[in-house]
Amino acid sequence: MTSHIQSPVVQCIAVSKYFGGVKALDGVTLSLSAGEVLALVGDNGAGKSTLVRILTGFYQPDHGELWFGDERVEQLSPRQARELGVETVHQHLLLCDNLDAAANVLLGQEPTRRRLGPLKFIDHRRARTEASRRLSEVGAAIGDLSAPVRQLSGGQRQAIAIARAMAASPRLVMFDEPTAALGTRQTEATLRLIRGVADRGVAALLISHNLDDVFAVADRIVALRQGRLVLDQPAAQANRETVVAAMAGLLAEPSAP
Amino acid sequence: MNASASPDSRAVSADAAPQSIGAATRRGWRNLLRPHARNLGLALTLAAVLALLGALRPRYLSPENAIVVALQMSFIGITAIGTTFLIISGSIDLSIGSLFALVGVTAAVLARVIPPGAALAVGVILGGCVGWINGALAWRIKLSPLIITRGSMSIIRGIVLLATGGYSIRGVPEEFAHAGQARLWGVPSPILIFLLFALAAHIVLSRTTVGRHVLALGANQAACEAVGIRVRRLRLGVFFANGVIVGVAGALAASRFGSASPSFGVGMELDVITAVILGGVAFTGGEGSIPGVVLAVALLGVINSGLVALGIDADYAEVVKGAALIGAVSLDQFSHEARERFRKLLAMRERG
Repeated sequence: MTSHIQSPVVQCIAVSKYFGGVKALDGVTLSLSAGEVLALVGDNGAGKSTLVRILTGFYQPDHGELWFGDERVEQLSPRQARELGVETVHQHLLLCDNLDAAANVLLGQEPTRRRLGPLKFIDHRRARTEASRRLSEVGAAIGDLSAPVRQLSGGQRQAIAIARAMAASPRLVMFDEPTAALGTRQTEATLRLIRGVADRGVAALLISHNLDDVFAVADRIVALRQGRLVLDQPAAQANRETVVAAMAGLLAEPSAP
Repeated sequence: MNASASPDSRAVSADAAPQSIGAATRRGWRNLLRPHARNLGLALTLAAVLALLGALRPRYLSPENAIVVALQMSFIGITAIGTTFLIISGSIDLSIGSLFALVGVTAAVLARVIPPGAALAVGVILGGCVGWINGALAWRIKLSPLIITRGSMSIIRGIVLLATGGYSIRGVPEEFAHAGQARLWGVPSPILIFLLFALAAHIVLSRTTVGRHVLALGANQAACEAVGIRVRRLRLGVFFANGVIVGVAGALAASRFGSASPSFGVGMELDVITAVILGGVAFTGGEGSIPGVVLAVALLGVINSGLVALGIDADYAEVVKGAALIGAVSLDQFSHEARERFRKLLAMRERG
């Protein structure tokens, strides 16, 4: 399943970010590869969300370099991050509860037929087939595509959010605590969806507090502590004690490559 | 529908329990009907009121009277279309009544010095500009547009009263009235413009990306930002369009009457909001349709004129309209609560 891990699609090299005197990130070097699920763990305040905001263009790093493929990007803006193929599946999913699954999957990317000044007419037929194709691509089963998504289950809503992220043909999809609000079965389903995203040749970054989830799905585990990268190991070689120790600052040597 | 037919072995069975086809179809029917239930209720109520009026006062249903009634409601109707978009997008503009007067007075004053067509056009553009400014203020100050536009409502009314000295605009050339007095197939222009605008608005809301994004914006602005919709442009665009629509109504009213009074549109915003909410637009945004609002405008117009036709004190109309509003939103709320209970049940079954 994880055979097609390729060269890095996104790299941070010695990235630092300060807020006043506080070092939120301190020389973090990290590469994200296509087809790989990278789990990012760390306590609150370890720098996880700072890193996510840098990768999505909401924060500018004070030092260090960001590379997308073989292109170095300075001053990444949120819009540019989207154009470079960085998508986020937020913890709260950010769905429009009043709209149906198809409308949510294609929100902002509706297929259109013709244009009249500022008005673009939605091609409803194409939207429908396009949305159901995208949903089945991520392996989601939505019974009624025209029901408002407020009527759908947590797992279905997660699948819609992921299908929407995948609709932009991303190179990196970040999952921000995706299972925090889900039950056991829905968690399993969501982890399978994340695996599926990586299997489609996309770099998946899983931000999670839950080590069960991390070990269930990650190819590689990265731990942050107080803004520093303290662990970067293939999941197969890592064990729970090491990861917990790294997060707690009990590892003597960062085992970064 | 393809839930069980997916050949993909990774397919996630996110569905709770496999449902029988019968249940799924029944739910499908409910989903198909539910958005129309409100409109159906309005249409039936309207038909019942009309039937009652027809039985008691047969002349009420004559074409001549129908045109008079429709004419009375057409200005509220035109204005309601802009407010429909605003409220669906999760916003509001309370200054529409004042803006209606500002545009009417401006167009009438200008018509004394420039050609009537140009005076009307300047009025409409002025409406758009003031609408845009309201939107920009509400956006920048990040405060409820309810409060911002309550402020501009007073400012604009004050300007109108100061500029006119409180007197109506007179001495307007006769040609100025042509637009508002025009008829096509015997139907006065304000009615035609109302229907035309309603049709266009319905198409925009249900068929275009702008309409889709307005619905999305009213439900979840963060979601719109996350998918790269230009939220600021969309919000200001809706405020601008609302201003243009109010401008058309105000200019047309001044033209129709051949003059404009500084007390044009006093209290109009409340009538408009009543019609919009009665028409099934959620005050919290994200839900609503143009046909519903058109039906509600018609119903309120018929209640107003019908009570007068029956010789009942017009003040009763206020009571009836208020009761209709509360009744309609209560029905919405109760059905919403029932749906929520159903959904929670579903979620619990799924987790357990």
